Amino acid sequence: MGAAMAGTARPRRRVPVGLAAAALVVCGLVGLPVVYLAFRAAGASEGSWDLILRSRTVWLALRTIGLAAAVTATAGAVGVAFAWLAVRSDLPYRKVWAVLYALPLVVPSYVGAFVLLAALGPRGLVQGWLEPLGVERLPDIGGFPGAYLALSLFTYPYVYLVSAAAIRGLDPSLEETARTLGRPRWDVFRRVTLPLLRPAIAAGGLLVALYTLHDFGAVSLMRFPTFTQAIYLQYRAAFDRTPAAILSLMLVAIALAVVAAEQRFRGRARYYRTGAGAIRDLPAVPLGRWRWGALVLSAAVVGLALALPVGVLLHLLVRGLDAGIPLNLTVGAAGNSVLVSAVGAVAAMLLALPIASLVARYPGRRANGVERVAYAGYALPGLVVALAFVFFAARYAPAVYQSLPLVIAAYVVLFLPQAAEPLKSGLQQLSPRVEEAGRTLGRGPGAVFRRVVLPLLARPAAAGMALVFLTAMKELPATLLLRPTGFETLATRIWTSASAGLYSRAAVPALLIVLVSVIPLSALARRVGVEEIRGD
Amino acid sequence: MARVPRTGVLLGVVTVLALVAASCGDDGGAAGAPDEGGSLTVYSGREEEFVASLFEQFEADTGTEVDVRYGDSAELAATLVEEGDASPADVFFSQDAGSLGAVAEAGLFAEIDPETLNRVEERFRSPEGLWVGTSGRGRVAVYNTEVLDASELPASILDLADPRWDGKIGLPPTNSSFQTHVAAMMLTIGDGPTRDWLEGLMANGVRFYEDNGATTRAVASGEIEVGLVNHYYKFEVEAEDGSLPISNHYFESGDPGSFVNTAGVGILASSEHDDAAQSFVDYATGEEGQTWVATETWEYPVVPGYEPSVDILAISRFVGPESQVDLFDLGPVLPEALQLLAEVGMV
Amino acid sequence: MPDLVLRCTGLAKRFGDVVAVDGFELEVGDGELLCLLGPSGCGKTTALRLIAGLERPDAGTVEVAGRTVTGPQTWVAPERRRVGMVFQDWALFPHLDVRGNVAFGLDGETRTRVGELLELARLTGLEDRMPHQLSGGQQQRVALARALAPSPDVLLLDEPFSNLDAQLRAEVRSEVRRVLRSTGTTAVFVTHDQEEALSIADRLAVMIAGRVRRSGTPYEVYADPADVSVARLLGQTNLLPAQITRGVAMTALGELDVPDAPDGAAEVLVRPESLRATRDPIGEARIVNVEFYGHDQLLRCVLGDGTEVDVRLMGPHPELQVGTAVRLELIGAARILREEGADARLRTLATER
Repeated sequence: MGAAMAGTARPRRRVPVGLAAAALVVCGLVGLPVVYLAFRAAGASEGSWDLILRSRTVWLALRTIGLAAAVTATAGAVGVAFAWLAVRSDLPYRKVWAVLYALPLVVPSYVGAFVLLAALGPRGLVQGWLEPLGVERLPDIGGFPGAYLALSLFTYPYVYLVSAAAIRGLDPSLEETARTLGRPRWDVFRRVTLPLLRPAIAAGGLLVALYTLHDFGAVSLMRFPTFTQAIYLQYRAAFDRTPAAILSLMLVAIALAVVAAEQRFRGRARYYRTGAGAIRDLPAVPLGRWRWGALVLSAAVVGLALALPVGVLLHLLVRGLDAGIPLNLTVGAAGNSVLVSAVGAVAAMLLALPIASLVARYPGRRANGVERVAYAGYALPGLVVALAFVFFAARYAPAVYQSLPLVIAAYVVLFLPQAAEPLKSGLQQLSPRVEEAGRTLGRGPGAVFRRVVLPLLARPAAAGMALVFLTAMKELPATLLLRPTGFETLATRIWTSASAGLYSRAAVPALLIVLVSVIPLSALARRVGVEEIRGD
Repeated sequence: MARVPRTGVLLGVVTVLALVAASCGDDGGAAGAPDEGGSLTVYSGREEEFVASLFEQFEADTGTEVDVRYGDSAELAATLVEEGDASPADVFFSQDAGSLGAVAEAGLFAEIDPETLNRVEERFRSPEGLWVGTSGRGRVAVYNTEVLDASELPASILDLADPRWDGKIGLPPTNSSFQTHVAAMMLTIGDGPTRDWLEGLMANGVRFYEDNGATTRAVASGEIEVGLVNHYYKFEVEAEDGSLPISNHYFESGDPGSFVNTAGVGILASSEHDDAAQSFVDYATGEEGQTWVATETWEYPVVPGYEPSVDILAISRFVGPESQVDLFDLGPVLPEALQLLAEVGMV
Repeated sequence: MPDLVLRCTGLAKRFGDVVAVDGFELEVGDGELLCLLGPSGCGKTTALRLIAGLERPDAGTVEVAGRTVTGPQTWVAPERRRVGMVFQDWALFPHLDVRGNVAFGLDGETRTRVGELLELARLTGLEDRMPHQLSGGQQQRVALARALAPSPDVLLLDEPFSNLDAQLRAEVRSEVRRVLRSTGTTAVFVTHDQEEALSIADRLAVMIAGRVRRSGTPYEVYADPADVSVARLLGQTNLLPAQITRGVAMTALGELDVPDAPDGAAEVLVRPESLRATRDPIGEARIVNVEFYGHDQLLRCVLGDGTEVDVRLMGPHPELQVGTAVRLELIGAARILREEGADARLRTLATER
């Protein structure tokens, strides 16, 4: 009755035509930017290729991959550790931590990096506190340390959320079995729990790695040149879209390699309970003397990633108010942010469904190929995706150009994996037998999907939509270029003020993003800490 | 049991309807507006916080309705190039000459009415009449008055490569104003000396910042002593943070450090509101526009006879590269400047 | 045989290079409980899935209640076949309570029907429990009640008891048989446990390497397994190599009369219960192992030439210990088997000479 790893037991089955068609349509939409890039790159003169095929590009690629690897490893370790603490340990105030651990996700990385710089800069806030102790300046955190710190701090919640759900879904008898075989607890964690969490860790890690590849805000503020930064530079400084397109295609290639790596890491094993869905509660593991270490680590990470940004934003706000700068209360923008992010989340979920179903139910080379294409957009900088949509929509679909549907479409391209990954895990944990049982009870595929699969996927789907919602709330470059004229979101309000150097005016919309995002996120994270799960 | 999906479907339907309603609302607003004074779509790379008042004033004075899309100048230039003839934009209002040059090079600008064009100082407009400057932005060294005296600052920007400035200088290497300045230096003093200067700065452990504002704040906090920025950031930062120990240092007239960049406008050839577009350009370079520059901003008017309101060096005293270099020539040099900056390790 | 409710002809299915089912033939009569017995990996589950329409065969036809549901030009979706299935892991819907699970396949007024089924499956009072709050036996019965709810023409059960412990298994087994009997349900049920198969089935079909090798009543199949592999599947078996010459088979147990058998090498099947061992100081066999089960015991004896044979004796025999010399006698039937193609096989009743 345990969770089974049915290795290669079930042979490949034929993919239903409808599913294949839906997956191809999604790939077509998501592949648009790549088509655009190929078109642009095809126009490259030899000069542009020379520009690209220099050792500097290799150097850039190595830096980018290095940063992504370091961030993914750190975010993975922190995310899994926190997930375990939140679900399995007797950490004091465990349920509060379960929510707090997830919250850094609401901080846009450009805000987070800005705040880290303001606080940890050579003459920043922290240096101010240390000045009485004779500290004249702190070492510069710019460059790799800053980019690494900022991205790790603000992306680990992806791993945390996905692995916490997986830890809760683990069959306790597996761990118990291992312990009765005489293995010490740590050994059990390493040899049983961790391998069982592999698909979840892979899913979270994929989100982190691709996020790091496409992030511009943090690397730019921290001045760590990556591919994305180089692409922006080509557009913004050299006004040359050809090398930008070539660089973007190289970034896509890196992203494809990352997705392929995840597919390898995930392995061919499929993980679902073969039991009838019975889930016993997991016993809490006493931390003993480790609890203080766990508390300090939790406080440090949450402090840096959440308390510090919120604190600095409040400080900026108060200082602005003192200086008589009017409050930038943007209720309309907040409403707009919620609207586009919510619709984007629903759209991304609907379009992720065929991809996730294909990958979870009909694994193989074709499904992997489809998945790679569908995930490519997530690694592309928002600016590149936006310009691709500008190109296609302005020319071929003027009716939707600079309209909300286009913004939503861009969100789908940019964030599809965030919706697809939780769905995929959910589907992988759902035994195909359960669906087949529905069919043998006289229900057609549609009815089985509606009455069995959907209710069972409600939770992972909600998790995926929450992730897309949260990320879309922070999205700037695509929103800026594709929105209807005059349509303001909180992110565009932040940009408007910050680009004019008016940080205190940027504080209100930034705080509003945090505030609005906290609601769905804490609903999502609270489930992590609850004791029992059962079907609704 | 079946409630979950039904709620989901309902949620989807409602949001889609809301979305359609919202986008229709937008369209309705634009299309249904009374077309008395015509309407104008402006892509503005200039910050809303600073230029919104100019558009409001223009709307009030002319009755022309203006739809402004704000964005980064270079990103908007890239957008215009991707849109091509299908662009909904009538006017491009750019923060810098580089973005204007990129759009002009793509052949997307229409010629500006010569009467409007000619009233602006020659060095601030395109010789083909494809775009025209609206305000000037001087390059300066902002310095911390607590640690430096005005007399300690060099007359030439090139002297900042001197080891005396080791660890004391900061600049925003990815900022287009700085990059344009480097391009201008390459045209005036040549690639070699420009490279030597940049390498000297690198040897001095020059510190990098995200933008002019961050550089200026770093000077104010004492993190660095000198920052290479545009002249008005001192005023911008002080408007928010109150009085700070910072001051602008202007390099000697004729020095490669003495350089004025320009913000400006161009009219899209694909525009169907050519008259309204011409009248906006006329307005921005005319009495109202230049008075607005002089009184509402800390920048330089570009039409003779208007003086800036704040205490800054007279624009005529900036006789730097732009006296020999036409700003429109900078376009092709920008990639080379970028290349050079990459080679010395600044970007 | 009563009216046929299920007929499979020439079913074949391969997964890549692996042949799962090949030339599968099966007929099940109305109200019959047929047991499909086979070793793991013989294709039993695939056969069930082909019948249920959960897999498409490469060739062959399936008829349910006289209607072709799978054929060269025919494909009826699983939900329209009126074929029910109980899965090995029961596959209960984890988000539905007992009532919701049982009612899943029902339309319209379901309350009475669900009540009947719950009563039939002895689940009354558990309607509101979620699957994870049930014991294994209860989950099993929910799965059965759920599958019976739409009154399928045929019910397929895929190793339905393998997830239960031994004691519960026997209990649930007879329970399932009772329920199937009382509803008159035609059922095909798959197992690899010969004891389960023999005890529950009306008819038995032994499946090896993708096809049915032998079918008949449990008694027929046990007594006359047709070939070596089938014989082995049906419990402890002594297979002795034999050389047949002119109607006489030479084996380690002695000479056996096989009047109809052609000459040549063959194997003789002797069930342990067909042998008797008696203590005999000059007996040529010696006991090497004793397994005592209470009602009977299994002795392993080694013959003079080193051949080992199993002997089952009823009742206690404390005098037979490891090391005791014994004499062996054939008291029941022995059969000559040849492991060849089905057509070439030969069945001959052997008697002790």
